[in-house]
Amino acid sequence: MKKMMMTGVASAVFALATGTAMAAAPANWGSVPATDVDLLYPGVSPIEWITKGTEHGGARVLRRGETCAGCHSEEIGDMGRLIVSGGKIEPTPIPGKAAFISAKVQAAHDGDNLYLRFTWQQPEASGAPKMDADNPVKIAYMLEAGDKVELAGQSGCWGSCHGDARTMPGADDNKTKYVKDGSLANGVFYDLNQWRSGENKAYDGYVADQRVMEGGQALVSAEGQLENGTWSVVFTRKLTGGEGDVALEPGNTYNFGFAIHDDSAIGRYHHVSLGYTLGIDADADIVAKKQ
Amino acid sequence: MAEQDNNSTGTTRLSRLMAALRRPSVHYSLASLLLVGFVAGIIFWGGFNTALEATNTEEFCISCHEMRDNVYPEYQETIHYSNRTGVRATCPDCHVPKEWGYKMVRKVQASRELWGKMVGTIDTPEKFEAKRLTLARNEWKRMKNADSRECRNCHSFDSMDTEKQKQRGRKQHEMAIEDNMTCIDCHKGIAHKLPEDMTDEDWD
Repeated sequence: MKKMMMTGVASAVFALATGTAMAAAPANWGSVPATDVDLLYPGVSPIEWITKGTEHGGARVLRRGETCAGCHSEEIGDMGRLIVSGGKIEPTPIPGKAAFISAKVQAAHDGDNLYLRFTWQQPEASGAPKMDADNPVKIAYMLEAGDKVELAGQSGCWGSCHGDARTMPGADDNKTKYVKDGSLANGVFYDLNQWRSGENKAYDGYVADQRVMEGGQALVSAEGQLENGTWSVVFTRKLTGGEGDVALEPGNTYNFGFAIHDDSAIGRYHHVSLGYTLGIDADADIVAKKQ
Repeated sequence: MAEQDNNSTGTTRLSRLMAALRRPSVHYSLASLLLVGFVAGIIFWGGFNTALEATNTEEFCISCHEMRDNVYPEYQETIHYSNRTGVRATCPDCHVPKEWGYKMVRKVQASRELWGKMVGTIDTPEKFEAKRLTLARNEWKRMKNADSRECRNCHSFDSMDTEKQKQRGRKQHEMAIEDNMTCIDCHKGIAHKLPEDMTDEDWD
């Protein structure tokens, strides 16, 4: 068993300084309901593509308010297979790349912290050159409050995915994810948490006018392990943090999406979920109940 | 002088023929004339209709290389050409109205294509591609104005069980019904390649 653990240094210092007990994830995750979420290999499908009717037939229903999941949640595997093979919107197919990943998401909270657990079967390696040699796997989730980011409520992470961002064909290597009219001051941003397997490090950032990977105050820790071919990553996050952290309140729901960079991938070569909702003691696709 | 005589003779013959046509028959009964007229009418109509229908076949459409080499191979890759039920919609099924009046209007419109054929408007693949958007827009407009009449010869919302459709189709069709949309609003390019220079306005 390969086990990796990383506790955010800042959070540890905070916990020690304040004398509070370290946050504890549910002792028995088996009793926490799991939501099945498939993540597809998205190819080159930035927000500009999904909103363009001449390219994406669903642009019309999207404009009318439908969610991506509303049309596609039952065919994620098929979409992934079509794209990863180069059949559609993938100009540089990677032979052997997984078409999709089936993950389970569990959520709970204790009034102070939100606990998110992601589990999935490690896909077979493609054998292609490693894009991120340091990190075989990375997993990130994003939260958004109040539908302030355009299409966040319908498309999950896609609101931050643009055709001119790095790794997109012909894009600037230094251009990160961003959101339209992104502004922390105006609340137009995604809260972003990521865990990287090789570095064994948790990142607490956000995506506004650009992506910032560090500086957040909500993420307490992220722990990941690979056991018998199954990854399990648990994030512990304070319900409220600081700038760039979405403040989570019981009774509310938040826009939620996540992505896995499998097979030492970077940028767009990840597997990504459609948009879902996370409820804190509230009805949603994924519900975090108080333990 | 001889030319004048010829002209004069021709005019006289024409006058006699016109006079004969105007003169009531004294040799044939009205019944005979009606019967002959009726039979001749049937023969004429049959001939006209046969000729009309001969132009209403896939064979006729692809007898021109402009169709055979460009849009026909694209159509052969689509579900309207080959599908699990073995039902095929051929060129005229989609592009020519079935009702006689609409059909005649369409045929008269299509007669312009003869001129295009003569002057070679789309007689090379390059010329066809250059004209594809214009041609497609013409047909999209015709179908839109006709409320996708030719599609509806086979398809209708009344007989569509959206519950049996895949999630994506179900959502789209339920929305289309609510918004009183017509088939061609969404199904552009269902049997042929979409023009590469198609604009967002073409989609909206």
